[in-house]
Amino acid sequence: MVLRAEDIHKSYGETAVLKGISFEVGRGETKVICGPSGAGKSTLLRCLNLLTRPDRGCVWLEDVELTSPSVNINEMRQKIGFVFQEFNLFNHLTALDNVMIGLTRVKKMPKNEAKRIAEEKLLTVHITEDLWNKYPAQLSGGQKQRVAIARALAMDPVIILYDEPTSALDPHLIGEVLEVMKELARKKITGLVVTHEIGFALSVADEIMFMYDGRILERGPPKEVVFNPKYEETARFFKRISELYGVRR
Amino acid sequence: MFWAYVPYMLRGVVWTFALVGGGLGLGFFIGLPIAIGQVYGSRVVKSLLDIYVWFFRGVPLLVLLFLFYWGVFPALGHKLPSLEASIIVLGLRSGAYQSQIFRGAIESVGEGQMIAARSLGMSRVSAIIHIILPQALRIAIPGWTNEYAIMLKDSAICFALGVLEILQRTRYVVIATGEALLPYVTAGFLFIFLTYGGTKVFNIIYEKTRIPGLVWRM
Amino acid sequence: MSFWEVFLPALLRGFIETLKILAIAAPISVAWGVVLGSARVYGNRFVSLLAAGIVGLFRGFPLIVTLLIIFFGLAELGIYLTPFWAAVLGFILCSGAYQSEYVRGAIRSVDVGQSLAARALGMSKTQELLYVILPQALRRALPGISNEIIYMIKYSSLAYIVGVVEMFSVSKHFNSLYFRPIEIFFTVAIIYLAMTTSATISFKLLESKLRIPGLEVEV
Repeated sequence: MVLRAEDIHKSYGETAVLKGISFEVGRGETKVICGPSGAGKSTLLRCLNLLTRPDRGCVWLEDVELTSPSVNINEMRQKIGFVFQEFNLFNHLTALDNVMIGLTRVKKMPKNEAKRIAEEKLLTVHITEDLWNKYPAQLSGGQKQRVAIARALAMDPVIILYDEPTSALDPHLIGEVLEVMKELARKKITGLVVTHEIGFALSVADEIMFMYDGRILERGPPKEVVFNPKYEETARFFKRISELYGVRR
Repeated sequence: MFWAYVPYMLRGVVWTFALVGGGLGLGFFIGLPIAIGQVYGSRVVKSLLDIYVWFFRGVPLLVLLFLFYWGVFPALGHKLPSLEASIIVLGLRSGAYQSQIFRGAIESVGEGQMIAARSLGMSRVSAIIHIILPQALRIAIPGWTNEYAIMLKDSAICFALGVLEILQRTRYVVIATGEALLPYVTAGFLFIFLTYGGTKVFNIIYEKTRIPGLVWRM
Repeated sequence: MSFWEVFLPALLRGFIETLKILAIAAPISVAWGVVLGSARVYGNRFVSLLAAGIVGLFRGFPLIVTLLIIFFGLAELGIYLTPFWAAVLGFILCSGAYQSEYVRGAIRSVDVGQSLAARALGMSKTQELLYVILPQALRRALPGISNEIIYMIKYSSLAYIVGVVEMFSVSKHFNSLYFRPIEIFFTVAIIYLAMTTSATISFKLLESKLRIPGLEVEV
């Protein structure tokens, strides 16, 4: 077990966004969370690395309870990679520096070692050397997101959380990012992905969790949940999504 | 002991406002034409105006006050009293700063407005007066409010010419009472109060002249 | 000796004194402005309120009043500063307060996603501020900060009131001795003009050197 969420609740004012979410992600697994907008998927992901604090419930990372007040959350976050929908690359740093900064400033690694790791991870996500010294504003959306994935990878996390990683991308750039994510999944890098990209789920995910109205309504192997859903809401959602997105290779 | 002198200090507010009002007013009538000239004027006009702005923004107020009061005005034949001299210098200087405020405001009104006005057959002058300026003047209010705050504090510098505004009177009080901390701190808070009050007034004007639905970015 | 032979050397000494004040007060005022501005955004409620109070006070008091309080007022409390250090302290406090406003605005203009990404990497708030936020915010605050430094160059003339023998003080003194106001004050004016103009150009150069594509000022 790498990550476990136990009965997560979160409300904003009067609105309850998460109404008791529980699940587990095992080592090497890739799990996908999908569901209609407003179901609380992004909120859930941010609760998992405590960027948002849940009102109730626990989050466990391996054998450490993240939600416990005595835990050093900054230390723990180093083990959780997070990829944002809006990339959030550091604007004042080149691609290479973006990947290195977690290593040099947070992990206090010597610069040349950090550089070596950063370059390796950038190549893993197919970002070639000619882009290493470019600033985020000079990169395409797909390149930015891949650099963001490299930044997360460089920290050697035990799990990577992806928050709708392709939703902000132009359609023709989505494929290159999904391809990288699929490769990581095949390499058994533990991942939890919030996405609409059903094709991705169908090809590499071990489990899909369908979120509806703040709860996980259904979960199971992707082919089952997508094509043989038990609930009507699930069926409706996947029918609509398949129409909109198709199954992407 | 000090408190007996407070009325004397407060009477300085009149002189301070004479300086501020005169300076801002003169500055307005200098700054607005300069702004119009810098946006719509010929290359020669622009260069001359740029030099004016550069000079009056680059030289310290103290130096300007002494240069004009002791030097320029007598050389021109009129040795002006310190209050009038101060107001003119403040006005010349404020005009330079206000011109930049108005210039930014005019430029942010947007070319489309001018084009539309000309398409209606308006002359350039008419378009400026009836279309551009009404919008620009309102955009300029926040920047102008800032100029008020600056002018208020700068007016204190005119004590150096002997104008009996707040600070000069405070200095006399310091001599008379032998205390320094209390009088100066009181003067400081008086300035804060006047700044706050004036700013509030301008904010109200800004709100009252709002055009529904229109948001500018400056 | 002719007038100029006496005046110019004295003016030079005053100019050097002015430079000394600026060389010390300018960098420290920037640092102080960054501290105040950061405190207002990142500090807890007490710290940020305190910082806001300090900023309000030193922006609200005219600089000359602040100088007089530091030199004459503190003397009443037994704190005796030399004219030079009283002036330097006054400039730091006053200019720093104005600069903190630019810093604060710039910090707040940095996209919240940058903070999220920093925290997701495991950075503490301090690391986030130092390594991610300030490098971006300070670039955005630079035009405002350089503006304040240029103001400081001009307002350094006020230091005469606490007895610092800087440029204006020299010119005032010479005018009362020789009474040649146009020559004296115009010369001084030109020198100040040269200082502010070269500072403006230097800052513009600095801005372009530090420019990062994509990090322009956003309204």
